Amino acid sequence: MIIAVAGGKGGTGKTTLAVSLALLASGEHKVLLGDIDVDNPCTFTLLDISLKTLRTIFAYKPVIEEEKCSFCGTCSFYCPAHALVVIPGKKVIFMETLCEGCSLCEVVCPNGAIREGKETIGYLKFGEKGYLHLIVGELKPGSRRYHEVAGETLAHILSISEKYDYIVVDCPPGTGASVAEALKVSDIVVAVTEPTRLGVHDLIKFKKLVERCGKKLVIVVNKYGISGGCYRELEKVAGNEFFKIPYDRYLVEAYSTGRSVVEMYPESPSAKALRDLWQWLRSL
Amino acid sequence: MIKEIVVASGKGGTGKTFISSNLAYLIHSLGENIIAVDADVEAPDLILALGGEKKRFWTEDYYGSFRPVVDYSKCAKCWKCLNYCRFGAIKKSDRGPLIDYSKCEGFGVCAVVCPSKAISLTRVKTGVIYMAESESGIKVITGDLELGGGSSGRLVYELKQRSRKFLKEGYVVVDSAPGIGCPVISSISGADLLVIAIEPTPQSIKGACRLLEVARSLRVKAVSVVNKYDLNPAIVDKIESMLEVEVVGRIPYSDEVVESYTAMTPLLATKSSIKETVEEVLNKILGEVP
Repeated sequence: MIIAVAGGKGGTGKTTLAVSLALLASGEHKVLLGDIDVDNPCTFTLLDISLKTLRTIFAYKPVIEEEKCSFCGTCSFYCPAHALVVIPGKKVIFMETLCEGCSLCEVVCPNGAIREGKETIGYLKFGEKGYLHLIVGELKPGSRRYHEVAGETLAHILSISEKYDYIVVDCPPGTGASVAEALKVSDIVVAVTEPTRLGVHDLIKFKKLVERCGKKLVIVVNKYGISGGCYRELEKVAGNEFFKIPYDRYLVEAYSTGRSVVEMYPESPSAKALRDLWQWLRSL
Repeated sequence: MIKEIVVASGKGGTGKTFISSNLAYLIHSLGENIIAVDADVEAPDLILALGGEKKRFWTEDYYGSFRPVVDYSKCAKCWKCLNYCRFGAIKKSDRGPLIDYSKCEGFGVCAVVCPSKAISLTRVKTGVIYMAESESGIKVITGDLELGGGSSGRLVYELKQRSRKFLKEGYVVVDSAPGIGCPVISSISGADLLVIAIEPTPQSIKGACRLLEVARSLRVKAVSVVNKYDLNPAIVDKIESMLEVEVVGRIPYSDEVVESYTAMTPLLATKSSIKETVEEVLNKILGEVP
């Protein structure tokens, strides 16, 4: 069973939840935790383990051979990312941070002056803690290609999925293409939100994405009980069937020191709520 | 002259929208021209933090990508398109190439290489852009990406272009998406100042560190603000030396922040007990703009 942990707004507790579920499940099952929040993957920080690199993820980058170049400007005209600037008759300037690696420049160059090069865009990493296995995708800072790194990571997770009873996928925030792809391959989508106006508002857009993907949605409201929250609006959007993770000092303390509450304070109210959630999910 | 301030963070939920909405409110109350840009296009809500929408000036559909369409009657099944696609978006079928639009980035290499001209490109709507005035009187340009959409970086670029079209003099405050990916790079590129919202957790500090690496490669000046600093005071003093970035201010955790969102009123417009602290931090940010 593949459980995607996602939700519109950032910082609502997706990683806390994904790590907790994976830890609880790994007590009795073979579990893989996949982290496709490639911009800033944090599952391994909360699990307090180090990772080893399985492989580097490369992407296409053009290499310009100036001796063959006639500075005609065709590549610059076609480049969809505006990464190539040609000073007529003089020079080609390639702006690597803008390049999206489509190779159109190489295809259209009339002089064969552009050849294939490769660029590192990220890393695929592996870690383990007891029976819990972890696959993490990490974007190389400065690269724009987060979607491809997340896609490669997800493809790797799926390629080894048969070895596991449960797969928990920690998704990036938002409602973009990487999230949509993870939702499509999941059996259950857990949306983590918080009782704030922004959390509730972002949940509206996220719910539409889940509906479009035709997946079962479980809404989890983290930080439940914070004062001044937007509870009435929350019930309007989430209905009255959602899981609550209470806001307690144990979760805050564990999280702010980079640990998981289910390991650090297993008897706390928040850890108990996370266990109840897991028991319910496994019954599905 | 336009001064562009971008608020970003490597990790989500650290207070980007809090800082950018109140910064925009402060600049507006100082009588300066300001346009706020919501560049968190997958989950935009800056205008809510500024009091909600009062008046819509305009809305436009944004066609940010292309979609290849195959005319199978012309296809000679040479599979050049498949061999040239860098994104693994084309598969073989009996009729000809099948395009997986979830992988297609819409660059159109397939259409260019096809010798039979069997592939044409149609424009695809990838989101909407609109400009509105918030209840607090601030003009906001928002980008709202289609569900499951890609090419968010191009949409963010367009938002920033629009802000410069409607403002000749003053400030542009950009509320970035979380992370360090394509839309964030578009947000930061060309900005005068990057403000990094950090919370005192290892996860947020790691994210800030990755974001700083991006900012340095783009040669954008960066400062940081530590939000909810009292959640883990032990780590706060180390942030400056760990990240080698100036911490211009610290804001404590307060229920009043959550309450101000619920009331859809920027904190600076309330009687909050932390109002003066926040105002002082935001003034320091303005003092850092080159």
